[in-house]
Amino acid sequence: MSIYLPIAEMSVNIFILFGMGAAVGFLSGMFGVGGGFLMTPLLIFYNIPPAVAVATEANQIVASSFSGALAHFRKGTVDVKLGVMLLIGGLIGSTFGVYVFSALRSAGQLDLIISILYVVFLGSIGSLMTIESLNAIRKSRNDDTPTKRKSGHDSWIHKLPLKVRFRKSKLYLSVIPVLMLGTLVGILAAIMGVGGGFIMVPAMIYLLRVPTNVVIGTSLFQIIFVTGYTTIIQSTTNQTVDVVLAIILMVGGVIGAQFGAAAGHKLKGEQLRALLGLLVLGVCIRLGYDLVVTPTDFFNIIGSMDGGSH
Amino acid sequence: MKNFLFLCAICLTLVFATVIPTKAESLQMGVSVDTVPISSSFDGTEIVIFGSIETHEQAALFRGEYDVVVRVEGAPEDVIIRKKERIGGIWINNKSENYVSVPSFYSILSARPLNLISNSIELAPISLGINNLGKNVPVEGEKTLIMNPGEFSDALLRLRIEQDLFSEIPGTLKQLSPSLFRATLSIPANVPIGEHIVTAYLFRNGEILGTKKSSFRIEKVGFERWIYDLAHENSLLYGIMAVLLAIFTGWAANAIFRKN
Repeated sequence: MSIYLPIAEMSVNIFILFGMGAAVGFLSGMFGVGGGFLMTPLLIFYNIPPAVAVATEANQIVASSFSGALAHFRKGTVDVKLGVMLLIGGLIGSTFGVYVFSALRSAGQLDLIISILYVVFLGSIGSLMTIESLNAIRKSRNDDTPTKRKSGHDSWIHKLPLKVRFRKSKLYLSVIPVLMLGTLVGILAAIMGVGGGFIMVPAMIYLLRVPTNVVIGTSLFQIIFVTGYTTIIQSTTNQTVDVVLAIILMVGGVIGAQFGAAAGHKLKGEQLRALLGLLVLGVCIRLGYDLVVTPTDFFNIIGSMDGGSH
Repeated sequence: MKNFLFLCAICLTLVFATVIPTKAESLQMGVSVDTVPISSSFDGTEIVIFGSIETHEQAALFRGEYDVVVRVEGAPEDVIIRKKERIGGIWINNKSENYVSVPSFYSILSARPLNLISNSIELAPISLGINNLGKNVPVEGEKTLIMNPGEFSDALLRLRIEQDLFSEIPGTLKQLSPSLFRATLSIPANVPIGEHIVTAYLFRNGEILGTKKSSFRIEKVGFERWIYDLAHENSLLYGIMAVLLAIFTGWAANAIFRKN
């Protein structure tokens, strides 16, 4: 069954999109990530104009992160104070990111920059996660004594001024790295059409040393606001949010996420991280391959009346 | 019903053709619809263009010496064609060419290939035929498409043909009788919205004897129209609505699945 997308201005198969939403939702529920880093490339592979894919994906992530954050609120695993600090940075980053997005689009380099950013970020985070989790798996096999959480006072990040106490996370931390991380993720959210969980979660764990149990809830909490804000800014500056597309993905996504979360409970933390790391690397390789392989057509054409660009 | 209307239209055309005294040769033409609506199930469609050849030279008409060519043109737009080049191992959009006033949709309907009907000396000044696009003489003070021969203009035509936006297919026009013709225009799902100009040309011995103009509109309707207009005319409200919709969906999913 085909449906016409009013903003992308194209006819698409509703079941394929719904299936894509459900599949990505399953993985995001399993790993506790938004799934934007998988969904946006998939939409682009499906010939949705990148500008529409990125902006619409931000809208979809609002739904999936809200749904996830509600569950974490009930369990009490959200550090609101830390979340708000990250959010302040996120809003600054997102505003800047949308303007960069518009400028790149008119220069004809948006698709390229999106791909390069994906390759760089997915590549580095994917390899870090895979290596770290494989080490953890090996360690847990050798001796069963749990590795002690590092005190956190030895890193340079913990020597910065303007320290604030985050009670829920049991941290006494400078606001500078928190704001910087928020800003970086905000920029990426706008340009790459992601919630940024795949950067936020590892950064919170490895750099800020936030306890694992509050990381995902807090990350989801701030992603709701950053992606919600990005959706509105994309709507007003680029008019590329397609709500019909977003609804199909949202419904598929939230259903898939429920099953994914159940599957995720059956796996150990380091196994999950290893799998996620490999998945991230896979997407990175696929996108990187497209950048270097000789294209089938050297030319591309953009008309002022083409879908999503007027 | 549609067929009945179509027949009525043909009959009317015929009646007028015999009643009104005209030049030696002329054309009558009609389009089967005024508006092609784009709704959520739109996946392309076909419309019919019909008409008749009027001439005092009945013998020539019956010998089939006349040819009709119909051109359908979408609103003009500005396009950029970019070429990817390998820079530092990565394929990057590098050189580009801009063209103004390129038809957003362009279709030639004819019974025979254009080169059998006339030649480029006759066709280029009226940009009839894909290969004659942008070969017309520019008008002072008017935005006119001028094609720069080369790989960029070749790519422009090739890509638009691949996207089904440009077409020139012999056999899309049929003579129902020596004077009556019927052309079928297939409209792809990615058709640009707006007014489309339909021009019919009457040829004999490669020479243009008469033309006739008409038009139809392609418009989004209903929900699609409402969404599109809101996104462009009240984008802040649209963005806020999109976010509220997402929050509602997220909440609903959470509420439904928590119960289970």
